[in-house]
Amino acid sequence: MKQVGQKGQIWQYTLNPVEADMLASLLKQFPLTSDFPAKISKSDTDPKSAEREKLLNESLAEHRKELKKRAVNLVTSEKLRPIENGRMLTLSAEERENMLQILNDIRIGAWRALGKPETMESPIAKDSTPAQAYHHLMNLAGYFVHHLVGQGSD
Amino acid sequence: MPSIPEPVTFPSPAIEQRHRSDDELAPTYYVICWNDPVNLMNFVTHVFMKIFGWNRQKAEKHMKEVHEKGKSVLAREGAEKAEFYVHQLQHYKLHATMEPAE
Repeated sequence: MKQVGQKGQIWQYTLNPVEADMLASLLKQFPLTSDFPAKISKSDTDPKSAEREKLLNESLAEHRKELKKRAVNLVTSEKLRPIENGRMLTLSAEERENMLQILNDIRIGAWRALGKPETMESPIAKDSTPAQAYHHLMNLAGYFVHHLVGQGSD
Repeated sequence: MPSIPEPVTFPSPAIEQRHRSDDELAPTYYVICWNDPVNLMNFVTHVFMKIFGWNRQKAEKHMKEVHEKGKSVLAREGAEKAEFYVHQLQHYKLHATMEPAE
């Protein structure tokens, strides 16, 4: 995956056929894991903090629902059109942010499913285990996050 | 008949009467981003730029602080604004909280 252009609020990336298939497949798996409770504060003892935390979790659940609706539209044939030797992905700024949030949600979900390891190294087991599958998804999502953000100007 | 003296007007003492607005009296919160081993550094920088409108240099400074010191204070705001920032940061799955500033 490579960023090949940015005109105003439009972003373009080229992907080889394998990357294009993997990205489409990855987005279809969102949400990978169920919601997990988020904390609004580590130290606030104000009674209002509990209400804030409830609102945060409602907001995150609602946001996820909205992203789920949008995920299917991020890799349509119009967005991911064939070019020589691969596909060209064209995203608006908002679509790019949606894709980043979806992919990072998958990455974090896989990491949590693995037990929140401190290191990102591959598990030793060579047979097909759920842990390996989560590890693969975490790395794959990270690959696309890294290339979507790039190092260019925002 | 004694003459009535003209009333003397003394200058009023210079008492500083500064009224603090409700905003100043309201509690403030630090918006803090905590380190984790999973969020990518260029992604964290991107999110800071997007949410706070910072330039890359400032966003990278805070990202490095998170990475090296375990956390970075991103803003000090009233409850509502701090809550807004935490929601935005958590939409990107960054580990962010709001902590009382006092």
